[in-house]
Amino acid sequence: MVFSSVLFLFRFLPIFMFCYFLAPGRMKNLILFLGSLVFYAWGEPVYVLLMLFSTVSDFFIGRGIAASRNRRKARGLLILSLAINIAVLFFFKYADFILQTINGAAGTDIPLLNLPLPLGISFYTFQTMSYTIDVYKGKVNVQDNILDFGVFVTMFPQLIAGPIIKYTHVQSDLHTRKADICEISYGCKRFIMGLGKKVLLANNIGILWDEVSAMKGGDLNVITAWLGILAFAFQIYFDFSGYSDMAIGLGTCLGFHFPENFRYPYSASSITEFWRRWHISLGSWFREYVYVPLGGNRGGFVKQIRNILIVWILTGIWHGAGWNFLIWGLWFAFWLILEKMFLKKLLKKLPMWTGRFYMMIIVLIGWVLFAVEDMGAVLIYLSAMFGLNGIPIYDGKSLYLFGEYGVLLIIAAFGSLPYIHQIAGRLKGDNSGYMTAINRVLEKVLPALLLLISIAYVVEASYNPFLYFRF
Amino acid sequence: MEEKINALVTVCFLCAILLTFTIADFCSEDRLFSEYENRILAAKPELNRETLRNGSYMKDYEAYVTDQFISRDTWITIKTWGDTCLQKRAINGVYLGKDEYLFQQHLEEDIKMHLADDKIELLKTLVERYHAKIMLVPTADNIMSDKLPVNAIYYDQKKFLDQVTAEVGAGNVIDVYEALEEHSREEIYYRTDPHWTTLGAYYGYQAWVSGMRRFAFPYDTDKLVTVSEDFLGTLHSMININRKPDSIQIFPETLKRPVSITYDFQTHSQTLYEDKYLETKNQYGYFLDDNHAFIQIETGYKNGKEIVIIKDSYANCFIPLLTPHYEKIYVIDLRYCRGKLYDLIDENTTSLRPDVLVLYNCISFIRDFMYY
Repeated sequence: MVFSSVLFLFRFLPIFMFCYFLAPGRMKNLILFLGSLVFYAWGEPVYVLLMLFSTVSDFFIGRGIAASRNRRKARGLLILSLAINIAVLFFFKYADFILQTINGAAGTDIPLLNLPLPLGISFYTFQTMSYTIDVYKGKVNVQDNILDFGVFVTMFPQLIAGPIIKYTHVQSDLHTRKADICEISYGCKRFIMGLGKKVLLANNIGILWDEVSAMKGGDLNVITAWLGILAFAFQIYFDFSGYSDMAIGLGTCLGFHFPENFRYPYSASSITEFWRRWHISLGSWFREYVYVPLGGNRGGFVKQIRNILIVWILTGIWHGAGWNFLIWGLWFAFWLILEKMFLKKLLKKLPMWTGRFYMMIIVLIGWVLFAVEDMGAVLIYLSAMFGLNGIPIYDGKSLYLFGEYGVLLIIAAFGSLPYIHQIAGRLKGDNSGYMTAINRVLEKVLPALLLLISIAYVVEASYNPFLYFRF
Repeated sequence: MEEKINALVTVCFLCAILLTFTIADFCSEDRLFSEYENRILAAKPELNRETLRNGSYMKDYEAYVTDQFISRDTWITIKTWGDTCLQKRAINGVYLGKDEYLFQQHLEEDIKMHLADDKIELLKTLVERYHAKIMLVPTADNIMSDKLPVNAIYYDQKKFLDQVTAEVGAGNVIDVYEALEEHSREEIYYRTDPHWTTLGAYYGYQAWVSGMRRFAFPYDTDKLVTVSEDFLGTLHSMININRKPDSIQIFPETLKRPVSITYDFQTHSQTLYEDKYLETKNQYGYFLDDNHAFIQIETGYKNGKEIVIIKDSYANCFIPLLTPHYEKIYVIDLRYCRGKLYDLIDENTTSLRPDVLVLYNCISFIRDFMYY
């Protein structure tokens, strides 16, 4: 099920919220768990069992780790948990990629599995692994209630597309939580904002990327290629951050406190900063469970580079089973290492806009790798972007696309920077009676309008994909 | 405390919006057919083990809930309004042109998917076997391209037509492009529908007459009769915002002599024009009762001549103009008819060498033309 659908907004959500808020305290987790199963099984009637298997196995392993008296047994159980999760992930997500690579290199013809990717598998396996690792480290208390644990893994706000929740984030809320009315109000508004980002901005600017990516490589000129990749950059940002907004909004209404996943990444002035603002929960996961255990930046510069490379190869392929994703990860690793070595210090000395400009170029080139996938086509696209394919910089089609999408691109650019947030902050900060009244009206009317227009686009939509669904 | 009351009001207000539509939607009745979208709306799917297991119930239920959502048409209108605010000139594949013209968007990438070359080969076989004449009509975006939005892209049908002429032979092709281009300032295409108007069909008729070296029947464009003034065609349905409606006209000369029409070997009619369509959204169906696989027309002109027209819907307003030239007109729409084309032609015509005309607009030709 997708949040931005008539089915979710006008069937699942009202019915679920009605049952949830009417249910007595301890029943709430049961309602949440069952509702989440319905939510997941609706799109994946068979793979829901896989998710339940992952949940149940890590629940019992967690108990086992906490109960085991010696370190070796606990460690063995931890390795079992990691092995199961990684095996499941590997089998469903990467097996065909490996098989294809072997076939290509060795000339064999091993048949591919062609298994459809279970929804959310990259999210929930990482979540359950964070739990077993934290229990082993003694960082969290073991969860003895299988229902509560089930809620942690499967709860529908973040099940399909994150943010990746570590057990520490929800540990106490699982047992006792209450959203006060101010939090619910915030949650509603946050949800509506995410909905608007997705259906008004992401879906619409995505059409521009669709048009450009369907063009023959040879027809791409400089302007069209840049328009296209900017469109993709905005699409994936508003899509993913919009979905995170909706997840956080819903979670807040239920009494949870999910971590932020995006902090205006396109306002960053270095790649290091970009990755502290983009898909924060993933970066945080890899830092805590891969980078630091490997030694992080202790142990000398060479080791640090090795650790960075490992983390970024993993980050790359987490996003997709393909060589282009691996190279995408390495692309960022390269710039991150350069920044650590000298680039960041250099950027600090230059005006701010150089950093932001540099960041945008690197990120956009990265998006070409990410979105175009086939390496040959990537090179063609990049050469078009930099005017290396010998055709004139623009043509009729470029002008047409610019006219069609210009306004939307400007709105998207403005929306991807913190200006609106800052303006809103300043308005709210003004405590004079007259401003308070205006604020109170705006904070009801603006979300209401946004909701209504979003509903119109949802009803009309024949185009409603979510890009991170392949994870 | 004040903060809490304010928050409560916000929550109630926003949730009320969602709840109102949810409840209203539950209470509203399901619609069977959407006049605006000219299609059947999804119905409630059947719930059983099999459909649950393979997920088809879920998909169908979602389609059902979305199709039947309350005030669907109004929401679509709001969406279109949103798009126009963003200064979009193409909405849902329709260009918002100048002078209130709507143009269907045809992009090269979409056209390239269909194997036009194979279809031209099929044309050549028809020409060889029946000395067929080929009449492919360009769509409005090619002829009235000055009314398209600035820099709008369209598929160049002149190039395609030149290719057809080169392959099939100039003597076998009726060149409509030039004829229409000469009159491009007149109302030869509907504003809200992709079809050509009766006036446009008339200029096509003149091109046909000159290509076939016949004498033109003296149709008088000053005497055109308007049968409808509120026609809002399929292009309007795709965007659903207020537009000036089109008028549908006919030449009264086509009504002079009686006709006897048989549709699909079953239904009979005594007129080329079915009034009942003028009460519906699909007013273009007025011409030759919309779409049929096979039509036999016996005109009042007893001259022993026969013609077989292989066509798409563009021909529907053109065929009445041919009635003075033929005693019998056979009309075949390949999208709906099953069975071999040659058999259909050979078994139904009586004369040894009936005229055969292939009449399509370029886009549906490239997309749909296929026979066995």
